[in-house]
Amino acid sequence: MSEKKRKTIDYIKEKRVVSEEVKEKRKEFVRLKKLILKVLESGDKTIPEIADETKLPLPVVTYTLMTLRKFGDVETGEIDDDDEFFYYKLKTKK
Amino acid sequence: MMIENENLTDSAENGANYDVLVIGGGIAGEEASLNLANMGYQVLLVEKDLSLGGKMIHLSKVFPTLDCAACITTPKVSETMRHPNIKILTNSVVEDIEKNGNGSFTAKVVKKPRYVIEENCTGCQECEDKCPVVVEDQYQYGLVGRKAVYVPFSIASPRIVAIDIENCILCGLCEKVCPADAIDFTQEIEEIPVKVNSVILATGFNLFEPEVITRYGYGKFKNVVTSMQMERQLVPTRPYNGVLRPKDGKMPDNIAYVLCTGSRDHTVGNPICSQVCCMYSIKQAQLLLGALPMADVTIYYLHIRAFGKGFCEFYQQGIGMGVEFVKGKVGRIHEKEDGNLILRYEDIEEGVVKEAEHDLVVLSVGLLANPETKGMFSNDSLALDAFDYVKQVDELINPAKTSIDGVFVAGAASGPMDIPDSILSAGAASSETASYIRRYHEK
Repeated sequence: MSEKKRKTIDYIKEKRVVSEEVKEKRKEFVRLKKLILKVLESGDKTIPEIADETKLPLPVVTYTLMTLRKFGDVETGEIDDDDEFFYYKLKTKK
Repeated sequence: MMIENENLTDSAENGANYDVLVIGGGIAGEEASLNLANMGYQVLLVEKDLSLGGKMIHLSKVFPTLDCAACITTPKVSETMRHPNIKILTNSVVEDIEKNGNGSFTAKVVKKPRYVIEENCTGCQECEDKCPVVVEDQYQYGLVGRKAVYVPFSIASPRIVAIDIENCILCGLCEKVCPADAIDFTQEIEEIPVKVNSVILATGFNLFEPEVITRYGYGKFKNVVTSMQMERQLVPTRPYNGVLRPKDGKMPDNIAYVLCTGSRDHTVGNPICSQVCCMYSIKQAQLLLGALPMADVTIYYLHIRAFGKGFCEFYQQGIGMGVEFVKGKVGRIHEKEDGNLILRYEDIEEGVVKEAEHDLVVLSVGLLANPETKGMFSNDSLALDAFDYVKQVDELINPAKTSIDGVFVAGAASGPMDIPDSILSAGAASSETASYIRRYHEK
C-alpha cells in the first residue's frame, strides 16, 4: 500500500510546481500562529491585548485567532467586565 | 419511452442516456430533480460546487417563519443523494449542449478532479487535521481559514474531503495519514458525454460584490460586512464564538443595515429589486436582537417591499422587537480610529443629510444573474432578459419555457426570487419537462 501512496503524490509533483506565493502564505500563517500561541502562554487575553503584545494588526489577530479556535488550538474564555471583548486561552490538551 | 438505467453510477462515466439533465444542485435543482425522479424519469444532476445545497444550505433561518434553513434543506439534499433515479456529479460543469434533430440533446459534463476517491473517503478529516496549509474559507465568506484539504462545511453533501490543488504545497501528508486510502493525486479532468431528452437550468444567482461601491469601504473597513457574512455569524457552525466584529473581535451593540446595496442602482448596472434583501435583513435584525439583547439595530432603506405571504406581519414584528427603520439612502461610510463607522445618509422623510455612528455595518447585497448559462449551448442560442437572467418566453402560460424547446428554467436562474418561489418555479419546470418528454420522446 505504501508503494501506491508514494506513487500518487510523486505523480502530481512531476506535473505541478508549488508557487512561491503559496509557500509564503504557509510560512506567514505559521509565524502568526507561533506569535499568538506564545502570547497566550502567559494567560487569557482579548484580541486587542494580543494585538498590542504581538504588534500585529487587529484584523490579522482576529482572523488568525478564530482560525486557531476552529482547529482546536485556542478556546474561548470569559467576556470582559464591559461585555465587549472575550478572553481567549490555549486549549488544554487532553 | 422512459430511459431505463440499470446502474446509473456506471452508465454516467460511460456516456449514458438520461431523461433529464438538471444543471445546478441548489434548492430549485433538487426540487425539480426529485419531482421528475419520483415520476420515474432518470435524472442527471450536475453541480459545480463540491456539495449540493446551493446558497440555501449556508443560511441561518428562513423568513418569515424563522424556521432553521439547514433543517429544511438537508432532508431534501439527502433525499436527492439517495434517490435511485438521480445520478449526481458534483464539482462538475456542463459544456457544449447541442440540440439534435429528434428533440434530444447531447452535452459534455466536465468533472474536475477532487483528488479524493469519493467512494473511499469517510469524511474522518484526519487529513485535514494534519494539513499544514491555511487559506481563506470560502464557505465562511473569508471570515476564518480552512485547510488545503478540507470537508467544505459540516453539513456538506457528499460529506467528503476535497483538495484545493491551487493552494496545496504537495507535502503528501494527507495521503500518508488517510486511513481509507482515499487520496488520489493522479485524478485528472474527466469529460463525460451524455445524451438527454431535456434540460433544466437551475443555475441560481450570484451575490453582488460590494467592493465596486468604494464609498462604502467594503474590504477596506473590516467592520463593514456583507449580509452573507452576517448570515454565517448567525448559524450554529459560525466562524466566531458569537456575533463579533471582524476587525477586533468586539461584540457589537449598534448595528446598521444598508439596504439596496447593488440593487435598484443604475450606477452599478443593476436597476432591479432583488426581492429578498428587505426580508432577509429584517430576519437578521430579529435574530441579532435575540443573539445580542442589548444591541440596537437600524435598517436604512429606500422602501420596504413586504409583498409576500406573512411578510408585512414579519416587518411589523421587527418594529415591535425594537428594530429601527430609517428611510434614508446611505451615501458614504467612514471609519473612525476605534473601528466604529460613520454613515452619511440622506434622511428622505426630513430631506436633510445626516450622519450616524454604528459599530458594525451590514451591506444587504443584491442578487445578480449567473452568467454561466451564456456559453453552454453550442448550436442554439439561449435568450436572456435585459438583466442577463434566462428569459421566460411565455411567462404567464408556461413560466419554465425558454427560447430553446426542451430547455426549461427553474428558480433564481430566471430572476431574483425567494425560497418558496424557487420551489414553486422548480415545480413548474418539472411539470413542463415531464410534459415535453411525454410529447416528444414517449411513444
